[in-house]
Amino acid sequence: MTSRQSSSTGLRLAPSGLRLPPISLRTRIAFYYTFMTALLMAAVFAAILFSIDKIVYLHFDEELRHEVEEALEEARMNERILNGLDGFRDLGRTVAEYRELEEIANQRDVHAQFIQLVDSEGRVLSKSFNLAGNSLSFNAASSGVRYFDSTVGGVMVRQVQVPLVSQMGDVQAYLIIGIPTRSTMRVLQDLRNILLWSLPAIILLLFILARALAGSSIRPVGEVIATAESMTQANLHQRIPLPEKHDELYRLSVTINALLSRLEDAFAREKHFTSDAAHELKTPIAVVKGTLDVLVRKPRPVAQYEEKIHYCLDELNRMARLIDQLFMLARYEQKSVKPQIVPIEFSTVLEPVISRLEHLAGDKQLSFVRQNIEQSMVSADPAMLEMILENILSNAIKFSPAGSSIDIEVTRSPGQVICTITDHGIGIPEEHVQYVFDRFYRVDESRSSGTGGFGLGLSIVRRLADLQNIAVSLSSREHAGTAFRLVFQAI
Amino acid sequence: MRLLVIEDEAGIARFLKEGLEEECFAVDVASDGKTGLALALTNEYDLIMVDWMIPAISGIEVCRQVRKSGSEVPILFLTARDAVEDVVFGLDSGADDYIKKPFEFEELLARIRVQLRSSKQEEGAIGVGALTISTVTHQVFCGSVEIMLTPKEFALLEYLVRNKERACSRSRIIEHVWDMNFYSDTAVIDVYINFLRKKLEQAGCRNVIHTIRGVGYIVREPQIDQK
Repeated sequence: MTSRQSSSTGLRLAPSGLRLPPISLRTRIAFYYTFMTALLMAAVFAAILFSIDKIVYLHFDEELRHEVEEALEEARMNERILNGLDGFRDLGRTVAEYRELEEIANQRDVHAQFIQLVDSEGRVLSKSFNLAGNSLSFNAASSGVRYFDSTVGGVMVRQVQVPLVSQMGDVQAYLIIGIPTRSTMRVLQDLRNILLWSLPAIILLLFILARALAGSSIRPVGEVIATAESMTQANLHQRIPLPEKHDELYRLSVTINALLSRLEDAFAREKHFTSDAAHELKTPIAVVKGTLDVLVRKPRPVAQYEEKIHYCLDELNRMARLIDQLFMLARYEQKSVKPQIVPIEFSTVLEPVISRLEHLAGDKQLSFVRQNIEQSMVSADPAMLEMILENILSNAIKFSPAGSSIDIEVTRSPGQVICTITDHGIGIPEEHVQYVFDRFYRVDESRSSGTGGFGLGLSIVRRLADLQNIAVSLSSREHAGTAFRLVFQAI
Repeated sequence: MRLLVIEDEAGIARFLKEGLEEECFAVDVASDGKTGLALALTNEYDLIMVDWMIPAISGIEVCRQVRKSGSEVPILFLTARDAVEDVVFGLDSGADDYIKKPFEFEELLARIRVQLRSSKQEEGAIGVGALTISTVTHQVFCGSVEIMLTPKEFALLEYLVRNKERACSRSRIIEHVWDMNFYSDTAVIDVYINFLRKKLEQAGCRNVIHTIRGVGYIVREPQIDQK
């Protein structure tokens, strides 16, 4: 079956030459079913024919044996048993007897029999009258009792030839008895014909029925196909109606529906991202364009020009930062990115990041507090890990009130290194916690809140962490602070 | 003419206010939907501009609520999205027009003028008697003589002429010509009216602005003197 399928697939995929129309599943099912049934039926029919044939011959041979016994009995009763051949010469029944028998045979459709006596050379010694000018054939090849088919005057007969052995042990003559088999053989032939002709008819009927049955049993597949075919990006919310029976088709439908849900989610996320990105990019353009548009409408004092130009430059710088982050996100989301993971002492990455951010923290009188920094080797891409720490720490700076501290802790537990960065800032309301890693997600919806972020930093953090098998999570209490946790597999 | 701008993006709100004020509009700015809606429902604006993506209450919702209150103030929405369904949805929610960010400031002004003009025949100018006011170039003529006005004077005259043959109370004038940061008494209107009358008379347009004692002012078509 497998090879058949693959060969038909191969034909279908063949780029040139003969293209077979694809065979439908229902036809294939019906075909395999019918093929197997036909084989089985042919075997059964053959067995029937064979055994009936055997039985018929068994009956013939039994009858012949019976006739032989009867003939020998008759010979004995004539007290000429085996002493001479004379007794056998008269073995044949009288003409009158045969006439009578033939009549009876004709009337009752009983088989008549032919009897013939030959000497050891095969010369006819005596034969029954009904043989008339014909004689039963003699098989000289064997000297034992032998059953075989032959014809007498165009009539099919089953014969037996029995050697008559003298007391000295040598074959003196053969008794040959034949019974006509024509009528039985005709019945057998008819049966054979009937079976032979009915087989294709039955197979054809079976194929049609099987095809209809297969069709009705895979009809739900057709519905699944119809629904799936009607799916476009616009109606991805559609689902395949579930069949009532909890069978394989139900499972198929459930699986396809789950797949559709995932697709819909992915599409929605992508659409959301594109729309967010467009919004974020268009806004600074709108600001710069609008500001300059208004600026050039009238002549103005130089100070005003300078102020507006600086303002526009700030906007453009912000936009450049956004584009950088978008590129970074796009690059790291590609599958081809391979982090250069090496074993590294955690604090050798952490310390440079802290010193780089020191001046930013200083602006808000924030202090970094290293609470419990254990010497820990982790496996990570140093550049990526740096970016993760920088993002989390600058986030912490952004949302911390002036004068507070940002606590950093690095601890080892069996098999793990855990880095926790805790701020005492505004925190994240519970309902937002699960979304903060989403692209363009900002807890504070008003984009003009002055924190200046795009909501991409934590998306980048998560992506980078995923690339290096670092588990990143956060816990937060509103107005109390947020704690980020990075969990590394220890080495 | 007094406008309300509901826009959370500070940069956009800023140039809109500055630019529109230079065009003699009184402009109020709200940075979120909630404040914007409250302002829209309490003050009488001649036009509301609302961004679609704003915090607290979405632009669409603001639009719906304003319409639900029975107001027919023209609403123009700003959007950074350009999906057709967003535009259709916005217009169906009761907005009169939209403009996509980033936009040309001139185009925005043109769209505002479309919403403010009272009839399709207006063609960028309004007037009474010999007095014509170009709403596009902000020039005022009496016959062929141009009258030079300050932005406030222009705004006041424009408002009165747009509402010609209708009595305008001092408080209504304050509402439509000054923005919400103006709290001083209505006497300032009388000062501006005085300036206006002088400038109009110098150019030859007399008896355009009439005083309704105890109420305010009205602009009337000059009665043709038969004598």
